[in-house]
Amino acid sequence: MNAQDPVEAALGVRPVPGTPRPFTFPAAARSRLSGGLALVTVHLPGRPLVSASLYLPNGAVDEPADEGGATVLTARALTEGTLHRDAVALTEAAERLGASLRAEAGWDATVVGVDVPAERLGPALELLAELVREPAFPEREVERLRDQRLNDLLQAKVDPARRAEEAFIETIYAAGTPYARVAGGRRETVETLDADILRRAYGRQGDPDRAVLIIGGDLGDLDVAGLVEPLFGDLAVAEAGSGASAGPPIVEDGLDRTRVRLVHRPGAVQSELRVGHLGLSRRSPDYHAVTVMAMILGGLFNSRLNMKLREEKGYTYGAGAGFDFRRFAGPFSARAAVNTDATIPALTDLMAELRRIREVAPSDAEMRAARDYLVGVFPLRFETPGPIVAALGGLVTFGLPADELDRYRPAIDAVTAADVLAAARSHLRVERLAVIVVGDADAVGADLEKAGLGDVEVVREAEPVAGEA
Amino acid sequence: MTVPTVRYTDERLPNGLRLVISEDHLVPVVAVNIWYDVGSKHEQPGKTGFAHLFEHVMFQGSRHVAKAEHIALVQAAGGSMNGTTWLDRTNYYETMPSHQLELALWLEADRMGTLLEALSQENLDNQRAVVKNEKRSSYDNQPYGTWQEKLLGHLYPEGHPYHHPTIGSMEDLDAASLEDVAAFFRTYYAPNNAVLSIVGDVDPGDARASVERYFGPLAANPAIPAFHPDPLPLTLGGERRETVPDRVPLPRIYVGYRAPTLGDPRLYALEIAAQVLAGGKGSRLHRRLVRDAQIAQDVAMFGLAFSSGPSVFMGWATVRPEATAQAVEAGLFDELTRVGRDAISEDELGRAKALIETDELAALQRVSERADRLSMYATLLDDPDEINRQLERYLAVTPEDVRAACAELLVADNRVVLTYVPAIAGTDSTEAA
Repeated sequence: MNAQDPVEAALGVRPVPGTPRPFTFPAAARSRLSGGLALVTVHLPGRPLVSASLYLPNGAVDEPADEGGATVLTARALTEGTLHRDAVALTEAAERLGASLRAEAGWDATVVGVDVPAERLGPALELLAELVREPAFPEREVERLRDQRLNDLLQAKVDPARRAEEAFIETIYAAGTPYARVAGGRRETVETLDADILRRAYGRQGDPDRAVLIIGGDLGDLDVAGLVEPLFGDLAVAEAGSGASAGPPIVEDGLDRTRVRLVHRPGAVQSELRVGHLGLSRRSPDYHAVTVMAMILGGLFNSRLNMKLREEKGYTYGAGAGFDFRRFAGPFSARAAVNTDATIPALTDLMAELRRIREVAPSDAEMRAARDYLVGVFPLRFETPGPIVAALGGLVTFGLPADELDRYRPAIDAVTAADVLAAARSHLRVERLAVIVVGDADAVGADLEKAGLGDVEVVREAEPVAGEA
Repeated sequence: MTVPTVRYTDERLPNGLRLVISEDHLVPVVAVNIWYDVGSKHEQPGKTGFAHLFEHVMFQGSRHVAKAEHIALVQAAGGSMNGTTWLDRTNYYETMPSHQLELALWLEADRMGTLLEALSQENLDNQRAVVKNEKRSSYDNQPYGTWQEKLLGHLYPEGHPYHHPTIGSMEDLDAASLEDVAAFFRTYYAPNNAVLSIVGDVDPGDARASVERYFGPLAANPAIPAFHPDPLPLTLGGERRETVPDRVPLPRIYVGYRAPTLGDPRLYALEIAAQVLAGGKGSRLHRRLVRDAQIAQDVAMFGLAFSSGPSVFMGWATVRPEATAQAVEAGLFDELTRVGRDAISEDELGRAKALIETDELAALQRVSERADRLSMYATLLDDPDEINRQLERYLAVTPEDVRAACAELLVADNRVVLTYVPAIAGTDSTEAA
């Protein structure tokens, strides 16, 4: 390639970036309705599709163990009818506005919301208020939702990724910890749920500081407070401490040694792998350092795990690792689905990377790649109203300060290689691990025993077949 | 409500590269999107899965970019990227902070111009292994994972370009050689076989100058083969059925029909029908099978639009444990027949259109989606302005249009029915046409 080659002349020098245009997280206006509910509005000029979400402090983590799944089912049942109209009429009313009502509960909160063109925000919020304030929990619909959840659990048994997740969490957490079950609940408790339990679960008062209504979009022509006050102004926001849950749920480590669990999937062409342990709360002071560390280990495409298992060895379509930050300590897991023959070598490589990131500080290039990605991608994450509203909701759910999102990029930029090494040493471990393999036990069981990771427990289940066969 | 008009420029470089630029300064972000007019439909017999394997090779380096460095550079610049392969096309895209536009353009130009200089047997073998694991993860080790292969296999005859799915077969993936990669690249990865769309926070003049600088010297391929598959009848001309034992706890019925080719107005009527039939809790199939009779766990109905032959209109219903597949199938086909017999109500039509309008608004908010659609319409319909006509085409649909399209197409003689039934692993499927 010589300089006369026009292709070389055009492409031989890498471009240098231009001057970044400043981006700040959109300004939010905070106020309170007369009954105490917090209201956050974000005016986003040029975004005519408005996103509104009401965060309620009812999370699956708060529910009693014998009602596991009640919170998730309760949220689903909110759109199944109100005291004034049934589910179909409610849905049709929303559809006429071009709006879809959504209601979902996760570990930490229940979020009820709607996305709707700005000029129809008022009537859409009226529907939202109706289902929040006057849900009917019709028995027939609750029973149907419950049965659908039970069927979904049957399907989860044959989905390798879902089966692996289930085995993983019940291994890393002690049996009494809410996070040891899936948020939607297990068969034993879901079976017992009924409309009365859901009504009670919905009435359970959480921490009022974690309730908030957030509305984002082009609000230029709208009197949002005027729309919202008549609908939610007298919404009873409970006094702190009136809740049914006596205190913060106890999150307890379930591992006193490394446990290897091999869930038999006859004839499986891949092994679904999960390796990890109990992780961290979103409120961990090491959040930013741990985030950078997790990017280097298994977050970026060019992370150590993906480069080793995919780009070097070809064992998998993708390998990754990360922390699921929740209100309380969520899981840390490394994961990959690998061809059956590669099960042991992939686990060996994966374990080696867990050890390595605790042994030496990452290179400058790795640090730059992770920090520059997290800082640079920030504006891309907040292009549209939905993710902006969700990020603001997360602050309230996790009890983080209002300037947390403004602090994020400087905090990431300040993370050093020494911080990453310290974070890895403090928060990752290579002993007392859960090692989950969902794969063909007849093909990999003997080699897994020999690999010496720990005692291997083989789980052989009856085929979860129901209905006609 | 009105969905904002997308303003853009549409031009060609002397080497044939089609360039579409659309300015939007709301957020300091830019989308770069390239569609190559090549997909799995161009694959020769014995080479299925090759277009997709090739897409992976595009991330293995070029003259100035090392293996896996493309993604490293994009991520370090705060960008996101990917590539996807489909029956009709292959696309590659980056969403970047706007001051990093040149990096994305340079990366795309370097691989469009010089990919083969970095090609190695080692990298090809590595990505072959990765793609085989993608096939295992996404299809072979998934419940109901064979539906796409089976549905396409029945809807299009052996030898037709749409007969096989993009992922291809393990055997053909094993057979792919370096010579195949080189020939494929020289044939299809030329500027005159591509559309480049740039949408977002850019100065169009600067963006155009950068494109001319990086892509201008790349040579056109004057001999891109024409692609004209033998025409197929719009309908199948008979029902085809297959019972598929699979390691699943719940039976599921898939139904697929041949549908008109992309650009045909009947596709919009069918999309409205899909919404009326299975779009959410107010839809007919949901109400009948999930809510009232409580015999189905879930229902779905949607179209897959293709540009070189009949499209697919399809859906499924999962059977609850206490119900029978026969009962679910009867209800499913009864509703699919009814939309062709009686016109849908004005209220149903109005609700469907209102939701489609909101969906359009939601999708077009994002620069990446706008760029992808501009590239798509330029590639498949030779007219990027279709991005601004979609909503009016949906809004023009009448109840009678829906009825007529359904009456013509959603008929027993035009359908493939796959019935997945619970079975232990490893048993073979049985076929009854």
